[in-house]
Amino acid sequence: MQKTLKEIYDYRNMIYMLVRKDLRGRYKGSALGFLWTFLNPLLQLAVYTLVFSTVMRAGIDKYYLFLFVALIPWLAMANSVNGGATCILSQQNLVTKIHFPRQVLPIATVTTSFVNMLLCMIVVLAVCIFSVGLNFAVLWYLIPTMLIEYVLALGIAFLVSGLTVYFRDLEHIVGIFVMAWQFLSPVMYSIDMVPEKVYNIFMLNPMTAVIISYRNILYYKTAPDLSTMLLALGMGVFFLVVGWFVFAKLERHFAEEL
Amino acid sequence: MESMTRKVTPVDDDTAISVSNITKSFKVYYDKGVSLKDKLLFRGRGRYEKHQVLKGVSFDVKKGEAIGLIGQNGCGKSTTLKMLTQIMYPDSGTITMKGRVSALIELGAGFHPDMSGRENIYTNAAIFGLTRKEVDACVDEIIEFSELGEYIDNPVRTYSSGMYMRLAFSVAINVNADILLVDEILAVGDAAFQAKCFNKLRKIKAAGTTIVIVSHSLGQIEQLCERSYWIDKGVVRLSGIPREVHAEYLAFMGDKAARIQAAEDAEKGKTEAPGTQTETKDDKRWGSGAGVMDKGDMRDEKGNQQTSFHPGDAATVRIHYRAQKPVDDVVVGLAVYRSDQTYLFGTNTMIDHIGRSELSGEGTMEICLEDLALVAGKYSLDLAFHKPDGFSYDFWRESCLFQITSDKEEAGLVSLKHKWKF
Repeated sequence: MQKTLKEIYDYRNMIYMLVRKDLRGRYKGSALGFLWTFLNPLLQLAVYTLVFSTVMRAGIDKYYLFLFVALIPWLAMANSVNGGATCILSQQNLVTKIHFPRQVLPIATVTTSFVNMLLCMIVVLAVCIFSVGLNFAVLWYLIPTMLIEYVLALGIAFLVSGLTVYFRDLEHIVGIFVMAWQFLSPVMYSIDMVPEKVYNIFMLNPMTAVIISYRNILYYKTAPDLSTMLLALGMGVFFLVVGWFVFAKLERHFAEEL
Repeated sequence: MESMTRKVTPVDDDTAISVSNITKSFKVYYDKGVSLKDKLLFRGRGRYEKHQVLKGVSFDVKKGEAIGLIGQNGCGKSTTLKMLTQIMYPDSGTITMKGRVSALIELGAGFHPDMSGRENIYTNAAIFGLTRKEVDACVDEIIEFSELGEYIDNPVRTYSSGMYMRLAFSVAINVNADILLVDEILAVGDAAFQAKCFNKLRKIKAAGTTIVIVSHSLGQIEQLCERSYWIDKGVVRLSGIPREVHAEYLAFMGDKAARIQAAEDAEKGKTEAPGTQTETKDDKRWGSGAGVMDKGDMRDEKGNQQTSFHPGDAATVRIHYRAQKPVDDVVVGLAVYRSDQTYLFGTNTMIDHIGRSELSGEGTMEICLEDLALVAGKYSLDLAFHKPDGFSYDFWRESCLFQITSDKEEAGLVSLKHKWKF
């Protein structure tokens, strides 16, 4: 494992190049180019706000912000998992022809999603300033929260990227799963709305804790609950360890399966 | 012919690659279901046959040595190379390699058509595991080698396929490595660029890099490698000096083709009189015999048969041939060797773009060597009739022996025309 870690470190430039290529290549040829990175979440926000503030009234103060601070981190997770499922398949040419630590691919996919999130966070923070203001005393909690989410996303990406090579259906199953997961996480609603009976089950969802933390920091402007964060960290590490070993086992036969 | 299996030897200091008894089998599915539905519903369908590609291959390569892997398609040579590259892993056996490994297998991996040549160098080199600093250090060298000049800052999609391959090859070959693995890719760009690549490989080798080449071009292996490994049905069938191994290999291929031909003929019921299809095979001559050389000799300018020439003389090689049935895809080849088996010159009608020759009945053909620019010594001439893919109709090693006599004591391999001016 140490050897693999060292090799991944040696290939850090490849991760960097893949992330860069993905971010730059994504909007290549479009008139607004890189601006879409910011426009995309803003437009999504507009749609959600329109639906939930005027049509289906949620009864939450400044609902657009309530949603926005959770939606951006959620999209990072959703993109990591969906992208993770296909990242080995879509790079077949590399995997069957060239040697490099395969872990590089899911790492790059997840990192791309998170770099994208960081850029969107600029928009989020700007909207916050104009809306409810920022509490700089708790803002630094964003860093551990993002790290926990990253660990969790990476673990799941390792798991699904490796398995999809062997079960191609997983790609589509993952798509449905991610959609269901969004509705089962308190992204569009508050955790307080969850009935008491199922509350504990909801807390088993690692994204519940992550979303609550983001919302505390940015919307309620308070420090996130330490036990909530530790729970999320624990589950994140669990997924990363499981994902790592499953991937390491599956990775040896990628070239033959593809 | 011996089948070679070597005992496991401990890796000593000057061994760069040690492959010990590796095996590999692939599952060949009768009807492969990769989707979950198939896996769950049609469990019986996943029946497969194990196809053992490698059955215990062993070899060691010393530091700075170059070896070639040859064999028919599907013999396992590319699989062996994939194991060395660590794209696949052996089922059993071990591979030990010392130093940084680079592979010239997939060219232009990860090229993005919209990005410029220069940007793609960075992406591509990153995939080979180079850090940014390392790429910065060699980027100028890569650009120079690619001969792309000012085009380097244009998007790759505007490149011709030749330019594209040149760029890709330049990146791959300029990655400094201790071990270089090459798979059948020395056919890049025009002849001049190919020669340049080949010279680069020589330089890389001279700098102490260990090289493993998989190729169907036996000539390239002979020029670059100290040893050749003939892999047949998953084992090393023969190893040794390339020229000797290749002779055996070609003879075997010729035999095999002749057997297939014979079987086909028998099936068609065309029983010909025995002996008409002279199937030839000895140390110095092999081939299927569909077109054969009765006689090959060398003549001087007056047309007299001759075995002794002076440097700069013209010599005509005349071949009498015979073909039982018309054969229309014959490449005629010629090679000159010095008596110590140094390969001096080789060409054929394909290289010279003469086109394929048709042989039927009996006849003669001539090749005129206008200037025997050789120093004094003894030489031999190989003549061959073969198919474009190398399958030999009649390969005749040392069909003519000749010598060059001279009153001058020029040294070296060739006698270059020269003039002194003061």
